[in-house]
Amino acid sequence: MEPVGRYYDGVVAARRFVTFALTRDATPAELVIADRDTREEIDRWPVDTLFEVTGLGDELRLGAADRPYGARLRVPAGEWSVALRDALPGLGRRSQLQRGHQRRILGGAVAALASVIAAYVFGVPLLADGVTRLVPPAWETRLGDGARLQIEGMLSNGLGFRSCQDQFAAGNIAIERFAADVMAETGSPFAPRVMVVRSPLTNAFALPGGQVYYFSGLLERTETADEFAGVLAHELGHVVHRHGMEMLIESSATGLLVGFVLGDMTNLSVAAAAGATLIDSRFSRDAEREADEFAAAAGNRLGFSPLALADLLERVAADDTMTRTLALLNTHPLTDERRAALEAVEVAPATMRPAFSAAEWQAIKSMC
Amino acid sequence: MFGDVRLSRVPAKFSGTRAELFWRLVGGYLLMVPTLGLYRFWVTTMKRQFYWHHTSIDGDALEYTGTPVQLLIGFLIALAVFLPLYIAFFYLSTQVGTVVVVGYGVVAALFWFLFGYASYRGRDFRLSRTLWRGIRFDQKGNAWAYATRQFLWSLLVVVTAGLAYPFMSADLWRYRYTNTWYGDRQFSFTGSWRTIAGPFYRAYATVAILVGAALGVGFLTEGRALALVPLLAIILGFGGFFYYRAREASRMFSEVRLGTAGLRVEIKARALAIQFAAYSGMLLVGFIIVGLVGFLVSLVVQGQFDFSSLAGIARAGWIGVALALGGYLVSLATLGLMAEVYLDCGYWMLVARGATITGIESLTSVRAGEEDKALAGEGLADALNVGSF
Repeated sequence: MEPVGRYYDGVVAARRFVTFALTRDATPAELVIADRDTREEIDRWPVDTLFEVTGLGDELRLGAADRPYGARLRVPAGEWSVALRDALPGLGRRSQLQRGHQRRILGGAVAALASVIAAYVFGVPLLADGVTRLVPPAWETRLGDGARLQIEGMLSNGLGFRSCQDQFAAGNIAIERFAADVMAETGSPFAPRVMVVRSPLTNAFALPGGQVYYFSGLLERTETADEFAGVLAHELGHVVHRHGMEMLIESSATGLLVGFVLGDMTNLSVAAAAGATLIDSRFSRDAEREADEFAAAAGNRLGFSPLALADLLERVAADDTMTRTLALLNTHPLTDERRAALEAVEVAPATMRPAFSAAEWQAIKSMC
Repeated sequence: MFGDVRLSRVPAKFSGTRAELFWRLVGGYLLMVPTLGLYRFWVTTMKRQFYWHHTSIDGDALEYTGTPVQLLIGFLIALAVFLPLYIAFFYLSTQVGTVVVVGYGVVAALFWFLFGYASYRGRDFRLSRTLWRGIRFDQKGNAWAYATRQFLWSLLVVVTAGLAYPFMSADLWRYRYTNTWYGDRQFSFTGSWRTIAGPFYRAYATVAILVGAALGVGFLTEGRALALVPLLAIILGFGGFFYYRAREASRMFSEVRLGTAGLRVEIKARALAIQFAAYSGMLLVGFIIVGLVGFLVSLVVQGQFDFSSLAGIARAGWIGVALALGGYLVSLATLGLMAEVYLDCGYWMLVARGATITGIESLTSVRAGEEDKALAGEGLADALNVGSF
């Protein structure tokens, strides 16, 4: 049986059934291609110009570097494809080089992407801080107002928050005085606006631009004035550090990065959202740590015990194994870790005094 | 007139199997994990080689000559297009009021516009890297012009509640095919809106009348008969969709000409429906397997960790996170695999096996066109997740 293959010259859309042979008459050797039926010689391809293109299974597809783009010799999988491959050792070496080249490009791209991700995860918290400082406070305040409308709608079924007492009530005056004390000397451009609102949720949060919300559900579980002061100072810490703005910048950047990894810049896929949440949770835990440090420093300055914050957290979270496991993914660090960090800045007992007077605390506690 | 032309009907052939594609994809998906997703460009190339090289016309298989690196470079270029859009998105997310609504509307319109551009460029990339009998295909025309056309037509379709769709479809098919070349020979498209008007308006009217009737019955029986509506909607929705999709593809492809050679494609709605049923069934099987494996893994893991010490909990926590993430990726991969193996591959098989070419001998006089290698990848198509082979 003579070798048979299909030949295309890359100039005209015609197929020819050909036979072929290696000749060593010339240097380098040549692959002589001849018509199967007429035996007329069609072309001679020098073996050092041959390259293999991906075929189907063990089929051999050859092209030649100095022939037209689409010129091909196809040898179906069988004894002749094996024989020709063996007779052309340069071919295997060239495709191996080609594969090595591809692997190096892939490896290089992966290394580059990995370093981008590493730089991102470690660098963005620093960067976001700098960028946040460039954002005009008025812009952030406006943003906070927008966020408030959204969150209010979400948490109160569109009814809006109902404040527990008007701003001239004794409780609110005490809170205002405390917030001003905490914010003094921080150089923050924001005027704190603290609001105790009626809601069964045990939560408190800060929005960009200085708004702080304390839910009546959490106030019920709050036992001492220092606990209340600790939580409030923590939330004011978010305001001073402009964490709301920072998170917005960070999560946008994360979306960009994850979109790059998954190749879906529209970020519509769930995978992108999950990946982004995972990275963002790391940043938000850093933000919580910063707010804790701020609360501890405020306690130090004003003389209340920041440890009370951890007491309240423990009571509310009831820190079971479930929340411990979740905390790794969660936005807040473990309360054990937080307590340890707060203990590190515990003030000397001699300077201790309550954050609120007994009468003030009584007024706050009975607000709702 | 020319009896011999009618006689020379050559069927296209497809020799690939779902199993082959499945195992190739599994390998590719696995490599995407350590390469942080970058291997997707290699997977796409491998997938195209599978489709192209298994498809043959008159005994000669297609060849895909594109490389993964071209796709990678194209993606990097697309990133540059996206950064400004992304910053616009960010700015909008910090705003309040009507500017947000207007802004998002503008950005959404821009995305839709870019989608048309990306799909045209993607088609160009694939055609210009397709060889048959040593001659390259190519797509000329202007991607921006195509995107503008598609954008304006889709506005009209929305305004006319879908009634203008056959006009849009015919116009876009014509633009695509009259700008498609095989070597130095230009394709043409002989269809018009009338080509698909029948199936389209029939499906449209049937759905409209039956939905109206269901609402009427619901109104007369004061809502008691409304329980039937979801069932009706499923039957109608799927039935109408398969019927219409099969008719549109068959009729439109059958209007494609290359000189005196012509294409004929026959796809049965029944075959599409069976394919979808197979996909749903295999998806179910796939998720049952994934669920069982997940359950077994969770049993093993539960016995191994001790939850009484803080360190143990933290360790279990990280392993839990890793398992949850792994399970999530596996589920996502199952979803993607089944869609590729049953829907995409199934559709390609139906088109390839349902296609015949008449007058193929006229193509032996086609000569190679001029070189056109200006296209770097189809980055935007990848970035916009334009679904195509």
